Amino acid sequence: MLCAVLPSVSNAADQRYPDWPCVQAKVPEISVAAVWEGPPIEQVANTWQNEPKIKDLVTLLAARRTPMQDAQKSIAEFLTGDAAAKADKGKRLFAGLFETLNSQRNEVMNGLERLARSEKELAERIRSDTSALRELQDKSPPDLSKIDELATRVEWNSRIFEDRRKSIRYACEVPVTIDKRLFALSRAIQQAAEQ
Amino acid sequence: MWCRMMLGICFALVPAVEAAAFEAYVSNEKGNTISVIDTTAWKVVETIKVGQRPRGIAFTKDQKYVLVAVGDDDTIQMIDTTSNKVVDTLPSGPDPELFIDDPTGKFLYVANENDNTVTIIDIERRARLGEVEVGVEPEGMGLSPDGKILVNTSETTNMVHFIDTASRQVVANVLVDARPRYAQFKDDGSELWVSSEIGGTVSVIDPVKHEVRTKIVFSIPGMRAEAIQPVGINITRNGKTGFVALGPANRIAVVDGTTHQVQKYLLVGQRVWHMALTPDEKYLLTTNGVSNDVSVIDVASLKVIDTIQVGELPWGITISQH
Repeated sequence: MLCAVLPSVSNAADQRYPDWPCVQAKVPEISVAAVWEGPPIEQVANTWQNEPKIKDLVTLLAARRTPMQDAQKSIAEFLTGDAAAKADKGKRLFAGLFETLNSQRNEVMNGLERLARSEKELAERIRSDTSALRELQDKSPPDLSKIDELATRVEWNSRIFEDRRKSIRYACEVPVTIDKRLFALSRAIQQAAEQ
Repeated sequence: MWCRMMLGICFALVPAVEAAAFEAYVSNEKGNTISVIDTTAWKVVETIKVGQRPRGIAFTKDQKYVLVAVGDDDTIQMIDTTSNKVVDTLPSGPDPELFIDDPTGKFLYVANENDNTVTIIDIERRARLGEVEVGVEPEGMGLSPDGKILVNTSETTNMVHFIDTASRQVVANVLVDARPRYAQFKDDGSELWVSSEIGGTVSVIDPVKHEVRTKIVFSIPGMRAEAIQPVGINITRNGKTGFVALGPANRIAVVDGTTHQVQKYLLVGQRVWHMALTPDEKYLLTTNGVSNDVSVIDVASLKVIDTIQVGELPWGITISQH
């Protein structure tokens, strides 16, 4: 009658990140080197936001609803001028995208770990309730109203647990999606700057 | 291309200098398809549906078939290269990933990861001839140019096993760095290069003395060492230049074949694992598993000249010889 299967939360394959619930390995952040072969961006890391044109373009390009083809077009239209000018614009644009997308990615990853911790707590509660339920059932005479109350709670929590587990699985794909987008945009910037 | 378009009648083109058109077949591990790329247009000209989890892919020596290991179906499918249709299968043993054909083109050596064996197949008879027991989780397969020694790398024990193909016995074992993935002999047989994905190095092995002569190391400013994961290796016929795919470093390392020093790194696509050279060695194509594309490198200028979208999770690549 009751769910005897105790839920497990994460794959916990990587001991360094015990709260990481995803099957995909946790990559704490994307390094500049992973996506960029262009000029270094340290100098412009704090100044790119000061240019409204760049700020707006970063917002447009970072948005996942902007199709990649349109993004590439906007990048090509923005990178005009001689080689030096293109390199400079490209560098600032990349700096903005890098910071924006990396921090978006961090938010998602922190959210995932928070969710995973809640799941662990919920799993504990379900486990201890199930245990208590067994004890109650073994008593003679059984307290039927208490059993009923506890059984309902276990069932309800188990359903929440399952639903959250599915959400986590989908959410785990988001950091990879952001990673891919950053790579594609960085490549588009480097190619447009070289043309 | 002309022949297919004109329903089997070949027209001779008006004499002009024509760029050699080869065809590259790319296995898409998640998409369960093969993308066929034309190397003059640099476009996917056809997509072939195959079985589940296609990975290792190679032309037969006679160019009549493209063989693809479909791991989840426990078989190797044979694609007829004129029709580009799957026409037959080979009994590969369970979970085939990588395989290699012998110089005569008659036999295939297949690594069966879950079984700790290498299966030997007679291609024409479509029959299993025998097995060799190897280390745990065999993956990389290399064959000496004279076909006498088969080399197999073991992912878990970090060993490179040298197998005498006549006696089918293991004759030597060499320890390399963590998680060896790929083995490649130079065309003159003087060196065997083996990549260690977790160790982050490529071991250059003396195939006669069975010892590691030197290790190729990689370093990219700003990149964590753990992100540099060497997998695929390709070496030019003259042995002077080697290319190593570095996985999530998203780069190919160009290595001097004599000094074993890295000359250059080229940013290609995400999670680059395997590569193939066109027969004229003018271009190197790379499979980028996470960005779902193939990068084209001009070998003379060492520049990435194009990127071609293929299917989901591109894994292996093989190019026609004509």
